[in-house]
Amino acid sequence: MNIKCEDRDRIFENGTPAEWAALEAHSASCLSCAEELRGWKALSVRARELRDYSDMPSLWPRIERALTEEAATRKRRAERWGWLSVGFGLSLGWQTAAAAALVVILTVSAGWIYWHRTGPAPIGDQSLLKSPALAEVERAQTAYEQAIDKLAAEAKPELENPATPLQASYREKLLVLDSAINDLRAQAGMNPSNAHLRQQLLAMYQEKQQTLQDILEEKR
Amino acid sequence: MGTMGLALPWETRISFVPREREMRVEPSEDLTVRPIETAAPAARTLPVSEDAELAARCRAGDLAGYERLYALHGARMKNVARNLLGNPIDAEDAVQETFLKVQRGVASFRGQSSFVTWTYRILINTCYDARRSRQRKKEVANDDREDSPRPEPRAPGAHPALRMALERALATLTKHQRDVFLLYEVEGFHHAEIAGMLEITETASKNTLFQAKRNLRQMLEPPRGSTVAGAR
Repeated sequence: MNIKCEDRDRIFENGTPAEWAALEAHSASCLSCAEELRGWKALSVRARELRDYSDMPSLWPRIERALTEEAATRKRRAERWGWLSVGFGLSLGWQTAAAAALVVILTVSAGWIYWHRTGPAPIGDQSLLKSPALAEVERAQTAYEQAIDKLAAEAKPELENPATPLQASYREKLLVLDSAINDLRAQAGMNPSNAHLRQQLLAMYQEKQQTLQDILEEKR
Repeated sequence: MGTMGLALPWETRISFVPREREMRVEPSEDLTVRPIETAAPAARTLPVSEDAELAARCRAGDLAGYERLYALHGARMKNVARNLLGNPIDAEDAVQETFLKVQRGVASFRGQSSFVTWTYRILINTCYDARRSRQRKKEVANDDREDSPRPEPRAPGAHPALRMALERALATLTKHQRDVFLLYEVEGFHHAEIAGMLEITETASKNTLFQAKRNLRQMLEPPRGSTVAGAR
């Protein structure tokens, strides 16, 4: 293979073994290429100075401990959420879908319960709140939220460290309710005059209040 | 990182990396021609079956599998991290974090690349994250120094002065040039593996290495004219 000095950079970048051989043969009679080749190789040799595979006796025990702790945490978490997968090892995707379905069911149920508790809507268009009524609803909602937050603060120790499976279930239920409440609040924010949304929100708050009361009663 | 993030970024970004090893084509030191396999013993790539077995053991939560991974690659992983981050403490943290990320993500590892390449990709991404985090902290502290690894003392080599000069020169390269140079020349990875780790093509890896070496030579070697002048 005939190699010229102009081929040198291309071979340095992406040469085949045969091209390298030809370049080395060429450099035997070409001072410039011999110098370049020497410099190129010297850099590779010099790079090995940055290789330090010295022993690190403390690192593996540290990693091992971290892996063990992480595995234990994951196991506990899996057990806590085990009821969602009904013990059949559902994937997280299915668990998410199931949680979403649960939110929908809860929302619909709460709306249905509220509807039947308060009776049919009075005749006339009550689906849109007028401005003064809207302000009053928002004031009442804020006060109600604050009251429930106080209740939640009382139940916080039980929720953070559930001592019984029932408390753990309450906690999961509250998470689902909070998620539904957030969704409804977002929708109500976009459509503040929609009375139906407000009623659903109220039903959710009542459900949350009831759940918090149950937790506190169990505590007593 | 939340547990909901099953679609792990380091996993989803995996591109196909051929498992067959390329030959590292380099001139030999004695100017006789022989395409050489990487010289470092620790740079050994696992056979496909052993790699798959290691992945399976880690997926099954077998701690001994992780220990084997560490025994084979721990020192090299730390060296990669130290060269990317510039100090041994951050490097050890990065290696530990990498093992935890492997444990979290191994269930979603599909084998598009070798398990070891995938592990190194996680390590490199972890080092990038650590560098970015350090950079943010520096910005908060109004420190305007450049974000290049600041080498710290390490085990004495044969030529500490040469090593320090090389480290200083490396710090002036672009991030990609530095990373490719370190992975190829220091750690002995092949371009196919580096391509998998850095999410670039093999051609880009070769080109980047060429640019890196050319720049390093310019910085480390005196201009040829001065050598000639000195010889006179």
